[in-house]
Amino acid sequence: MSSTPEIYTQEEPVVKNLTRLESTLKAGPGARLRKRFSPLRLLTYAVIVVFAVVYLFPLLYLLNVSLKTNLDFINDPTSLTKTFQFSNFADAWVKGNFATYFVNTILYTGVSTLLQVTLALLVAYPIARGYVKWGRFFATFFVISLFLPNGLIPQFQLMVALNLYNTQIGYILLTSAVGIGPFLIIGYLKLIPKELDEAAAIDGCGYFQCIFSIIAPLVKPVLVTVAILHAIGVWNDIIGPTIYLTNKNYYPIALGLQTFKGQFSTDWTLLAAGTMIAALPLILLYAFFQRYLIEGAVAGAVK
Amino acid sequence: MYNYYFGRGWKRYLPYLGMFPALALYLIFGVGPSFFTALFSFTNISGVPNTPWNWVGFDNYASFFSLSGAGRDNLGVLTRTIIFCIAVTLIQNGVALFMAVLVNSRPLGHLFFRSLFFMPTILGVTIIGLIWNLLFNPLEGPIQKLWNVFGQSSEFLGSPSSAFPLVIFVQIWQNMGFSLVIFLAGLQSISRDWLDAARVDGASPWQTFRHVTFPLLSSSVTTNVLLAIIGSLQTYQLIYVLTGGQFETSTLALQVFKIGFQGSISGGGLSRVSQVQQGYAASIAMIQFAFILVVALGSQWYLRRRETQI
Repeated sequence: MSSTPEIYTQEEPVVKNLTRLESTLKAGPGARLRKRFSPLRLLTYAVIVVFAVVYLFPLLYLLNVSLKTNLDFINDPTSLTKTFQFSNFADAWVKGNFATYFVNTILYTGVSTLLQVTLALLVAYPIARGYVKWGRFFATFFVISLFLPNGLIPQFQLMVALNLYNTQIGYILLTSAVGIGPFLIIGYLKLIPKELDEAAAIDGCGYFQCIFSIIAPLVKPVLVTVAILHAIGVWNDIIGPTIYLTNKNYYPIALGLQTFKGQFSTDWTLLAAGTMIAALPLILLYAFFQRYLIEGAVAGAVK
Repeated sequence: MYNYYFGRGWKRYLPYLGMFPALALYLIFGVGPSFFTALFSFTNISGVPNTPWNWVGFDNYASFFSLSGAGRDNLGVLTRTIIFCIAVTLIQNGVALFMAVLVNSRPLGHLFFRSLFFMPTILGVTIIGLIWNLLFNPLEGPIQKLWNVFGQSSEFLGSPSSAFPLVIFVQIWQNMGFSLVIFLAGLQSISRDWLDAARVDGASPWQTFRHVTFPLLSSSVTTNVLLAIIGSLQTYQLIYVLTGGQFETSTLALQVFKIGFQGSISGGGLSRVSQVQQGYAASIAMIQFAFILVVALGSQWYLRRRETQI
């Protein structure tokens, strides 16, 4: 920037940059530049590949171990598997009680997410429209707990006092309570014209009917984002179940897997298979919804 | 003041009715307990239901800072909390920014790489903990094999000298993709005109980055630094699944959970307390809160000022 004047005193760079400029202009605005081979480009690829290995290798190694026979693992744990020992998965599924855990996890995640999204929409809509007083205060109020002291201790005492300790309904209510859902939805709702409400009301549409049959379909993308962010949080929650669910029949998969690890701490082929079982639904979900997820994460963070 | 279209009289209050369930749940299970943590920190309440408890004034705070007896590990805990916060914030954001610039140069498969680096964010700590326990297995793990090639050997997560750096590494491995995605969004919002202008002026790639791109990214930097600071001071789930806080890896956040619900104090095998002490844990939660408040507000102030200067 400070070198701007100097450029014009040197012959060569000007010419060089002009040809570059010409190619830019020819390619048109927004076109990709710098597609030619260069040492810098090669270095870029090298670094990215190294990082990709650091991120991909752990998963591939897990898959490799999960497909080994126990004997093969003991003889040479790090070699490429010679077998496809799918019975590890069946074993883990039965020994780890994964069927129960899956049913529980789906129950907790499903109900909690549905509740969270519905409640968040019911909060966000009147705030975005100015139908309630103190709208701005409420909008901030719902995210403030993210910065307040950790409330684990009083929460636990409360759950015990309310007889919700070690109950599935208690755990579901607890996980549905907090979230940045309203915050995200408010921003999106402001893009939808208020005249729509007026038209709906004139046609005889009630308040709640308007929210669920007219507004909800229009803000579906943000609802999906809120749902996925919340669902992943509940699906992976380990601390909540550790504290509040002591009955093994109530364990979700995260806690089940942790217990499984304690039980079979030396049987790595079985453990790896169990971990794969727990990870697979998440990886599949991610493959389908990653756009929503990444955009949602950015939207949630930047606001 | 504002138009409401859905009727008069009692119908005017339907929006409040709609908000009520969320507000009630949030007050009871979310924000309420947070406030009550302050009260609990002045009691000696245990985790066992129906046992008597007393107000103890500032005793919990005093015993935390006495750094002897039950609190003799606390200096280590505090130091580690600070190291964890600084190391995670700096390295995670440094690496994420670097990688974001590389991914943003649109190499082949850049969308795949973005997805790959973001993936640990959704995997959850239990799975991540198991994967790295497998990789860092001191007996038969691949990393030990690699170490042996260089004539070294380590206990990895099972030794006080190496466990904590490795915990920091896994924490960064898990969250780097999140920072990267935010930086990437920031990079993509920078107009090509700025970069083209810099090129035409003869700026080298480094000069372009240093004097054009980086200043224009300042709001992403602020976001990421704050998120990393708050995240590293509040999360303990990963440390819990990797080492359980053993081998000198526990931080303030994990201590709240351990003392409040597991009834043991990390580090010293001799100082194990068999009973959970929730009043004491609540006081640690308050200390943690004060810590976060000071650090987050301080860095917020600094970063915002820096933003406006640019």
